[in-house]
Amino acid sequence: MTTVTLTINGAEIVAEAGLTILEVARRAEINIPTLCHVPGKPAETPCQMCVVEIEGQEGLVCSCVGLAQDGMVVATESAKIVAHRLERLSILAETHFGDCKAPCNLTCPGQINVQGYIAHVAKGQYEEALRLVMERNPLPFSVGRVCPRFCETRCRRILVDEPVSINHLKRFVADWCMRHEIDLEIPKDAPTGKRIAVIGGGPSGLTAAHFLTRKGHDVTIFESSPMLGGALRYGFLEYRIPRDVLNYEINTILRLGVSVKLSQKWGKDFTLQSLKDQGYAAIYLATGAGVDVPLEIPGVVNPHTYSAMKYLRRVAEGKKPDMGRRAAVIGGNNIAMEVARTLIRQGVAEVTVIYPRSRTEMPAHQRNIREAEKEGVQFLLMASPVEICDSTEQGSRLKLELIRMKLGEPDAKGVRQPEPIAGSTNTLQVDSIVSSLGQTAVADKFSGGALEKSIAISPNKTLDANVRSSQINIEGVFAGGDAVSGPRSVIQAVVAARRAADNIHAYVMGTVKDEGDSRFNFTRGKGFDDVDLKNFDGINVKLREKMPTRPPEICSQDFDEVKLGFSEKMARHEAERCLSCGCTAYDRCNLKDLSIEYNLNINKTGMGTTPVYAKDSSHPAIIVDKNKCIFCGRCERSCEYDALELGAETFDDKGRPVGLFLRFKDNCVSCGKCVDNCSTGALNKKAQTIPLHSEPVKEVRSTCPYCGAGCQIILRVKGGTIIEVTADPEQAPNYGALCVKGRFGHDFIQHKDRLTKPLIRKNGMLVETSWDEALDYTAKKLFDLKAMYGPDSIAGFSCARATNEENFLMQKFMRTSIGTNNIDHCARL
Amino acid sequence: MTNSIADIKESDVIMVIGSNADTSHPTIGLRIHQAKKNGSKLLVIDPRRTGFADEADLWLRPNPGSDVALLNGMVHVILEEGIWDKKFVEERTENFEELEIVTAKYTPAYVEQITGIAEEQLRAAARLYASPGKKCAIFYGMGLAHHATGTDNVKSIANLAMLCGKLGVAGGGVNPLRGQNNVQGACDMGALFNTLPGYTGLDNNDAFDRYEKMWEVKLPRRKGKAATEVWDAILEGDIKGIYVFGEDPVLADPNAHHAVAALEKLDFLIVQDIFLTDTAKMADIVFPAACYAEKDGTFTCTERRVQRVRKAVEPPGEAKADWEIFCELSHRMGYDMPYSNPEEIFNEVTQLMPQYAGITYERIEKVGLQWPVPSQDHPGTPVLHIGKFTQGKGLFIPEDYTPPTEMPDADYPLILTTIRETPQYNFGSMTRKTPEIEALCPEAFAEINPADAVRLGIADLDTVEISSRRGTVQLRARITDRSQLGTIAIPYHFAEVPVNNLTLNSLDRLSRSPQYKICAIKVSKIEA
Repeated sequence: MTTVTLTINGAEIVAEAGLTILEVARRAEINIPTLCHVPGKPAETPCQMCVVEIEGQEGLVCSCVGLAQDGMVVATESAKIVAHRLERLSILAETHFGDCKAPCNLTCPGQINVQGYIAHVAKGQYEEALRLVMERNPLPFSVGRVCPRFCETRCRRILVDEPVSINHLKRFVADWCMRHEIDLEIPKDAPTGKRIAVIGGGPSGLTAAHFLTRKGHDVTIFESSPMLGGALRYGFLEYRIPRDVLNYEINTILRLGVSVKLSQKWGKDFTLQSLKDQGYAAIYLATGAGVDVPLEIPGVVNPHTYSAMKYLRRVAEGKKPDMGRRAAVIGGNNIAMEVARTLIRQGVAEVTVIYPRSRTEMPAHQRNIREAEKEGVQFLLMASPVEICDSTEQGSRLKLELIRMKLGEPDAKGVRQPEPIAGSTNTLQVDSIVSSLGQTAVADKFSGGALEKSIAISPNKTLDANVRSSQINIEGVFAGGDAVSGPRSVIQAVVAARRAADNIHAYVMGTVKDEGDSRFNFTRGKGFDDVDLKNFDGINVKLREKMPTRPPEICSQDFDEVKLGFSEKMARHEAERCLSCGCTAYDRCNLKDLSIEYNLNINKTGMGTTPVYAKDSSHPAIIVDKNKCIFCGRCERSCEYDALELGAETFDDKGRPVGLFLRFKDNCVSCGKCVDNCSTGALNKKAQTIPLHSEPVKEVRSTCPYCGAGCQIILRVKGGTIIEVTADPEQAPNYGALCVKGRFGHDFIQHKDRLTKPLIRKNGMLVETSWDEALDYTAKKLFDLKAMYGPDSIAGFSCARATNEENFLMQKFMRTSIGTNNIDHCARL
Repeated sequence: MTNSIADIKESDVIMVIGSNADTSHPTIGLRIHQAKKNGSKLLVIDPRRTGFADEADLWLRPNPGSDVALLNGMVHVILEEGIWDKKFVEERTENFEELEIVTAKYTPAYVEQITGIAEEQLRAAARLYASPGKKCAIFYGMGLAHHATGTDNVKSIANLAMLCGKLGVAGGGVNPLRGQNNVQGACDMGALFNTLPGYTGLDNNDAFDRYEKMWEVKLPRRKGKAATEVWDAILEGDIKGIYVFGEDPVLADPNAHHAVAALEKLDFLIVQDIFLTDTAKMADIVFPAACYAEKDGTFTCTERRVQRVRKAVEPPGEAKADWEIFCELSHRMGYDMPYSNPEEIFNEVTQLMPQYAGITYERIEKVGLQWPVPSQDHPGTPVLHIGKFTQGKGLFIPEDYTPPTEMPDADYPLILTTIRETPQYNFGSMTRKTPEIEALCPEAFAEINPADAVRLGIADLDTVEISSRRGTVQLRARITDRSQLGTIAIPYHFAEVPVNNLTLNSLDRLSRSPQYKICAIKVSKIEA
């Protein structure tokens, strides 16, 4: 072998002669980016990403073309090279059209892989759908019931008919797994030996405990109430989140191995200092926002006037405060709606919500307002309480004095604040009043010790935690959820807690926090107005499934759940409505990865805005989206059968194809290698509908179970599901080649027809039985046959599809336990 | 395979006989096509016009079941023309005289009578394969083995390769393409009625002594029954119980009605499988098993490469890995097999089998090794028989041509041959659960030669009824000259077309392989 010696990035490299600079660099593990390279099959028009500088030569050289020569001095990174690569990327990006991530995914505060779990539901993989949700949200039962559904507001299906009922699907998979007693077997990292205290067992505390436990930490939750749940238990009553569901949800978190100390009041039973003294490496404050903002009007102190959280808590604890026949709720937030609906359920005949502005300005979610109204809640708008007096009228306990309001002139921000209309008093005769004017984390200051006293409090009476680090003004003490933000949705508390858990993990381990997914994103249009309606050509109107709901007149009579949940059929149907906006090649897209690496700002340089080509799903196993094609040609050149034709009618001034065509020839064997080689999401496997984001994917190397060629395969596994099968181009004996069976034919593994229990014949029927009974019975029968007719009365057929070890054991079993050579297999069949 | 898949690119001449690797071993078929494209000569012997036949430099289309005559004819020509490898024959083989004697009568004229191959073609094929000094590989598949004379066919192949000195060299060799992922391993492991693991015959008392010492048990030394012989033994009352591990004889066995009748007569049937197969439906006990992706272990592929299988996901429900089931059952039978993982079993295998002696899980962590691997520092054996045969000298075992068991006659005038389609596998229990594969290959067609179709009045896509003396199936016809005149080919993947209701349980006298590739049938069109 003749060799050449050259220098790449200052390192001297001896290489086989005749190789390209790119090949030499790769063998020396020097990474040169490329979008078009297929080893041994050079591109006619290279993508130019692999340009390098060679000393003494002018301009840049494509390293996939230039041969490595003796004495060459090569640089693979320089300002000039980077500029060229950026320019090349921006040219390709200008016409690349599609969504990296779906809008639902981007809109979800939890950044949940929404499209992914919907796709799992569509495939009937409910367990995996839930596992995917749980990657980012450990409270799918609650969130699936009470989420404001930010995602659904951005669902592109709105441009066709109605958004996908995403949240109902989340609830469906959670409930399905509960009903089927599925243990998700969520993996935990090895123990770190670090102890972490979580103060507060509501959504934020439970979430932090979940993620910190998964990271291998030893977590203890300190909860002041006798039961966990916080706002989930005391803010939402049973008709929203049934207690058995909530308890199940909390237990799934505790089962991971979380310690809990109940009825432990911070400042009384323990302090920050005492926790530090006990060796907790970090403390997470998740105390929520459970302190009601007081109603400050004369007469408020009386036995029939409550604040919202106090009232809800009493009901949640099973107490039945006497609210009389008529009640007023002061305030228009979400908690006020819960209070009103709870009052109705307590048998209060007239419930009136009083709010100083109009209905559309109420901070409660419109959906919640509508539901309260359906159940009989009345609204007295543009009115404000002035005074509470004892009632003088027969049959009512309190008199609530009100003043009518009007909207004033716009203030500096253009907001019209309500102003009282002078002299416009109004009275309301009621038996009880509940005020819900908002909640804070703390009434004034925390107490308990010096550390508590030093906690910085924001003007909103919440904890002041750093947005990036989640840390408060005390070293090693973190906070998140409503305690920091004030009352927000559950999913927002989950997000804050997850971020805090990442920060706490980094803090106690002395590491740097993992960077999340980049915000880089190709989009088919940020707002609805930006989306070309051509995107939806050929999509038929198919309205969303309606959530089965108990009639308001009935459900307002009790505390049973109002919404009954989707049936399996409805869920599948609804999931099939998903337009699958996000790219299923997200995890393997080289264009995206290089754009991120080189910091390409496509919002400035531009991206495709309109679908030029229709999607082509005529191939039995592959979907082609030419809008994403960057004409790298890897599909055509990687095809071992010469069965794919890529071309264009002409090219534009920047060398990009116009009138692009990508055709499978008649000799295509559907081996799918082109898909695995595609540099973007232009080629996709039909069945691979799950976009993989930053969730962990396990790659398991194995041997194909079909013919005797022994092809080496890679099973890509997420959770408990095989997502796809690929092959390593470097590995014998198949060197990346697979047939259609090897790459696609693995659905049988997780098919519903698999045998899951031993069967035994009883009264002529095969019925399920236990392993013990099946094995005992079999052993006895074999024993009897042997005793009666001799060992040669028994024969065994071994299995040419099973492993060596198992074939070895089968013949050993027949020869030892039975005592016969009547053992054979289908080698000859 | 004596050689490796990677060798294919080294071959000057590739002879493919009785194999349509494009459908049965697609990634190997691919390498053969690529070698051809890169200049290797391709010699194809097949009654069926396969994709290889289309590309071949020379394609012989003999009558079905006439392979021994054809191969003997090639030997005859090579001897007559003096183009054999004299040095190889002299130094490395024995019984050459017998070969000369037996093949003497296989003159081109005599061979043409049997095979339908003209002298000119026969000579061309013989010369192409013999090509002195060139590397010539033979690939064969079930088209050669699934005959009542399957072992005769294989011996004739070996005779030809030894005569021309094509063994022990990269790019040469005799390369059977094993049908199933681990059929090689199942044989290696001694899941056979006539040998202990590692091909130690039942007459090898030393081996038995060794096994008995290791396993601390007395082993039976009398011969067992082959799977294909079991059915008669049941019907005769000799066999009362069967343990079927991962097979579906109701669909797979030739003359399947015969197997069903036998299963019905059994006292006790155990089936261990991943699906409730037709055989499992008849069982007294069904054990739910883990599939390949749910357990650890090794497979040995057709090039003798021992490769890892790794657990990727959990088995469904209470299904268990097969090895665990054996251990538990054996324990209950009073013989302990206390393994805690497949690696422990493998380590026992390597202690007992010299071919596997040097293999450990650690060594095959990244890349598999090709046996024999006699010691831990041995790199494996990509090419067998370099310089010396494993068993000393290569023995010529010439055989005479015997006609197939059931040839067409007035009542059943056509031949049925069973084939595979690329997307499907075996009886479809695995492949037919993937929608993309079903889309590619949703049904079985009876492939009928255009001339036969005209004669029989059958048009493309007509529904036809095909009957043999044993059974009947109905399916649609596809008119194609891939089928030889007088032969109808049907894939066997489809349970709704149980083609083994037609096939013949005529067995090879040594291997006991059935003659799937030939039985006499008649065909009639079903009017819509």
